[in-house]
Amino acid sequence: MSVKETNDPKIIAFCCNWCTYTGADLAGLNRSHYPENVHIVRVPCSGRVNPQFILRAFRNGCDGVMVCGCHPGDCHYSTGNYFTRRRFTLMKRLLEYNGIDPGRFHARWISGSEAGKFRDTAEEVTAMVRKLGPNTRYREYARREMSADE
Amino acid sequence: MNDNLAKMREAAKRALESGDVGYVIGWGATKFPDKTSPLFMRKPEDAERLVWNEYAIPGIAKYLLDDLYPDKPIGVFVRGCDSRAINRMMKDNRIKRENLRLLGIPCDGKDDERCTICRNRNPLVYDELLWDEAPTPEPKDRYFRANAVEAMSADGRYAYWSEVFDQCIRCYACRNICPACNCKECYVDMTATGFQGKQHSRSDNLIFGVTRAFHVGDRCIECGECERVCPMGLPIMGQTQKILKDINELVGDYESGVDAESENYLGVFDLDDKDEFM
Repeated sequence: MSVKETNDPKIIAFCCNWCTYTGADLAGLNRSHYPENVHIVRVPCSGRVNPQFILRAFRNGCDGVMVCGCHPGDCHYSTGNYFTRRRFTLMKRLLEYNGIDPGRFHARWISGSEAGKFRDTAEEVTAMVRKLGPNTRYREYARREMSADE
Repeated sequence: MNDNLAKMREAAKRALESGDVGYVIGWGATKFPDKTSPLFMRKPEDAERLVWNEYAIPGIAKYLLDDLYPDKPIGVFVRGCDSRAINRMMKDNRIKRENLRLLGIPCDGKDDERCTICRNRNPLVYDELLWDEAPTPEPKDRYFRANAVEAMSADGRYAYWSEVFDQCIRCYACRNICPACNCKECYVDMTATGFQGKQHSRSDNLIFGVTRAFHVGDRCIECGECERVCPMGLPIMGQTQKILKDINELVGDYESGVDAESENYLGVFDLDDKDEFM
């Protein structure tokens, strides 16, 4: 996979398998359209998302990152998203503190039936990141073209 | 001061002569008059080399991780910060209380910037106290580095941390000395995971800085050892102080290492946590 040199934003969305991924699937079944800039990475639970994933995404050329999971109380594993909430409340503030624009990192609760919310969030985040322009912070220029096996 | 040093030498000598402990960790002189180094006393006569003065600053608790299965308990002199470090490592299941013989020494504060934010001069865990406790003076601004950086603009903060971490040589001394950074294996040594490269670049250095802070974050005992050992003299406490400041804003008074039982902020959750995500 290579990161193309374009001004069009590239956004990674870490989606929980049980809620947001299903919601995105439902958005597709409903034939609703969301921007192709959002690239979904399926994770078993939003609690699986390591804050280092976000740093690595910025490092390897993403302009925005979303972390989406079940609403609090709805976690398939009972408690996963409560840990997510604590972790990313801190991480969002730490990223802001380090000069990353708050518009580049989003955490959202999207359930399996909220296809519309997924589409709206994807559109909203894409518009926001497009306005901010390409991300230069934390970006590793030497590795802009990643090799095929990565 | 000399009185206290005599008591410390006496205590170390007594412990070593009785054979209760394998060795005692304290502070020894170096060739520089204003520096001390960790001292490992194995024989009773070694106690004469012990030093206790305003330069006995280095944290000595992390050396316990180099000897996880000792034949006999290890004697350690503990100030407030060392006792919090020991609590930290006991909570993380890295050392066992029965392997320790803690000689408590209430600290009188050292001539160092990080001692101005000290909240516990008296040891919080010890087997015997060598002299009387004294109250800890009111600490100065607990988040002095974080507050200074927060006052800047977003671009200014990025420029500030870029300037700081451009100087970082990634020697990982901050990781090696930190009592909270006590994993058996560290992600910075595992290059195949791809989180971070080995090269010296701004992005990798910044990512190391943020990741180190987040890994330590809620478990930081605010001893400031990371800044003391940094060969480039970088103000890296600014990152951990920010996390602690946020935790204190979110859940009220939070301090790590004051005992070996209370849970870490990121290790538990509360149903009523603040929900900023929609």
